[in-house]
Amino acid sequence: MEQGFDAIVVGAGPAGCACAYKLAKAGLQALVIDRGKFAGAKNMWGGAFYGAELLELLPDFLEEAPFERYVTRQKISFLTVEDCLSIDFASPKFSQPAPHGFVILRSKFDRWFADKAQEAGAIVAPGLGADDLLWDGHRVTGIKAGNDELPASAVIACDGANSVMAQKAGLQTELSPEDMKQGVKEVIELPREVIEQRFNLSGREGMAWEFAGSCTQGLPGGGFIYTNQDSISIGIVAQLNALVKRKIQANDLLEGFKSHPEVARLIEGGKLVEYSGHLIPVSGINMMPELYRDGFLVAGDAAALVLGTGLILEGANFAVASGIAAAETVIKAKEKGDFSRESLSTYQKLLEESYVLKDLKTFKKAPHFLENPHIYNLYPELACDLARRIFIGDGQPRKTTWNTLRGSLKGKASLLQILPDLWWGKGAI
Amino acid sequence: MNTISIEDKLAVNKFDIDKDVHIRIDEDICQTCNHHACIYVCPANCYKLSDGRITFSYEGCLECGSCNVACDKGAIDWTLPRPGFGICYQYG
Amino acid sequence: MNIIVCVKQVLDPDIPPAKFKVDSASKQVVPPEGIPPVINPYDAQAVELALRLKEKQGGKITVLTVGSDGADKAVKYAISMGADDGFVLSDEVFEGSDSFSMAYILSKAVEKIGEYDLVLCGRQAADWDEGLVGSIIAESLGTSLVTLAEDAEVVDEGLKVKRVTLDGYQAFIVPTPAVVTVSNEVGQARLPSGLGIISAARRQIPVWKAADTGIDPSLVGSAAARRKLFALSVPARERKCEIIEGETPAEAATKLAERLREAGAI
Ligand SMILES: Cc1cc2nc3c(=O)[nH]c(=O)nc-3n(C[C@H](O)[C@H](O)[C@H](O)COP(=O)(O)OP(=O)(O)OC[C@H]3O[C@@H](n4cnc5c(N)ncnc54)[C@H](O)[C@@H]3O)c2cc1C
Repeated sequence: MEQGFDAIVVGAGPAGCACAYKLAKAGLQALVIDRGKFAGAKNMWGGAFYGAELLELLPDFLEEAPFERYVTRQKISFLTVEDCLSIDFASPKFSQPAPHGFVILRSKFDRWFADKAQEAGAIVAPGLGADDLLWDGHRVTGIKAGNDELPASAVIACDGANSVMAQKAGLQTELSPEDMKQGVKEVIELPREVIEQRFNLSGREGMAWEFAGSCTQGLPGGGFIYTNQDSISIGIVAQLNALVKRKIQANDLLEGFKSHPEVARLIEGGKLVEYSGHLIPVSGINMMPELYRDGFLVAGDAAALVLGTGLILEGANFAVASGIAAAETVIKAKEKGDFSRESLSTYQKLLEESYVLKDLKTFKKAPHFLENPHIYNLYPELACDLARRIFIGDGQPRKTTWNTLRGSLKGKASLLQILPDLWWGKGAI
Repeated sequence: MNTISIEDKLAVNKFDIDKDVHIRIDEDICQTCNHHACIYVCPANCYKLSDGRITFSYEGCLECGSCNVACDKGAIDWTLPRPGFGICYQYG
Repeated sequence: MNIIVCVKQVLDPDIPPAKFKVDSASKQVVPPEGIPPVINPYDAQAVELALRLKEKQGGKITVLTVGSDGADKAVKYAISMGADDGFVLSDEVFEGSDSFSMAYILSKAVEKIGEYDLVLCGRQAADWDEGLVGSIIAESLGTSLVTLAEDAEVVDEGLKVKRVTLDGYQAFIVPTPAVVTVSNEVGQARLPSGLGIISAARRQIPVWKAADTGIDPSLVGSAAARRKLFALSVPARERKCEIIEGETPAEAATKLAERLREAGAI
């Protein structure tokens, strides 16, 4: 390269695209590379994007972005092998004043987002992977990609869950299976009318649906279904070390989940068009690496900025927010002509002021709490049992609800078992 | 819906298969392994246990990195396929 | 040596066959969702041959493509491999052009570029596999033509081209300027280098409309097509399993051979 870039962004997922977009808008020379044939080629998720960042960052988002549907219904279900107890939340607030959640397929979306960064003036180079960093003493001075050395004032690692860059920078150590969940997913094609009828949707309305209980056979994790326009995404997320301990593959869980009577009817007649898998860093702030060093910043999944509270799993909004914060930091550093560690520490401050680190701190204890097996077997069982007793009479005289609950608990759990969970959960989620 | 095998699922995916192998395993180390985590965490059945030996084939690899995280024996020399090769998601 | 390479974007040939869809009513292929088109692999090999010639001979490689939105990606790919320059030929009036019109559109652009010794095309496009455009370009430019090249080198008299045959090759010496279509025997097209990808990403590829190259609109587009597609459908694929048995392996094999012959498979 004749002269270096102001910034090289490694990875064109939500973090990298947001970062490059912001940098380019500020007039910086930004290069974003991705090892996929095109941006998005390597990426899968659930998934729905929540929050206002994208609408704020990209003025054309609502008209142009290739999202599938708005989230207008959010459903949570507890499964036992036969039963399903659900909370189905629909509210006009989901789309007022502006839509709050978007169901997205990544391959199309990330490519569009990268094109936006390019329109803003960033150099977008898919088909290019970073293998290593360039150094001058303690300072990162660029990247190595194949036989080429590409210098830059700052390198921003947005390379996702298996961040080779954060490791090469000496910020992240080896990942541990306790800190990672694996997601596997199928995209199943169905006619649009069938989807709308089965999920009670119309137009661009969409559903995000989380499942807990028998779908993971008691392992920490859950199931999910998202409605796309002409297909549905169905998948399982499970703790990596738990799969090993149980000697089971996530795909077996997925097959079981798909055959649950309440789920099977939703996908019946559909055609499998894709099968995918990916890791998610789930220990939040407990596994978060140092976020910056001289000439180097980490954002998104590469920095483990993912929030899992049991009810939700969000990473893409954290990725976008951190990508923007990294860009703002680099823009300031460029003004000062100072890319030292000291100067880049603004990044940490920006994240601490935003929901990114606030939320991760609030839910610091959640990852550990969510390893409690009760959540995945006992409580779904109890909830369904209680519902069974309330809704399916057995011809005997009725009891008060309290006594029905006690009946459910009997033989399954004692209050002494449950109280600690409640106490612990109060502070964790 | 009948259950579908992982191999049949992978057949609907788009791959740009590289001639270079991006993951190598040290079968001698695998011989001494007591948990074979790789065969449970690989969502693409790239690792197989037959006659007490672990065999690996990189075709179908979804590049999730689970094997590398789960193997605590140092038996896996893990890299990603060359840029532009490997899994290419159409939906994601 | 100044070389012009004509490239085309095609559906990614690695898309699993089960996902191939056509719309029989409009007689068009429905591009699969989420997978962008790629440079025709044979055309990438034409770029490869151009680069090898340039490495020996010096000169300039210019790439041309006819297409609409996103067609610049094919030109950029060639530039990321090492080509010097490129243009997209795009105009509404081009839509529905057949091979004759395509060759005409490309020839006009070649003439506009003016100085050239060699025009290279892939042997055929991996979508329809017709292999017509290169030959028609030679006809309309009035140059010499060699098809199915596996190698080429500059000699005193012009260009020496090795042409693939079923069990060997033919060697031709043709005067330049010439049109040569390139076969896969040329070997793997090189992968773009990092710097190549970046310099291509930086480029704005100029677009030439019909008027820019002096194209007569009545000679292009669907109205001018001399050949019309009659019907388009995906053949139904049937899978059957038959188990052939026999007392001995030899007997089973004989029966299998008979059965295969009956089915017309051998
Ligand atoms: C099953 C599953 C379900 C999920 N559901 C949701 C959800 O519903 N909502 C939500 O908000 N989040 C969800 N997430 C999390 C979300 O997907 C991530 O948090 C988000 O994608 C992180 O964005 P990122 O840009 O940091 O990383 P990624 O999206 O992973 O992008 C990283 C990019 O870097 C590229 N790359 C990697 N290495 C290199 C290299 N060496 N050189 C060049 N490029 C490289 C990759 O090709 C990729 O494009 C889910 C995740 C999974 C796995």
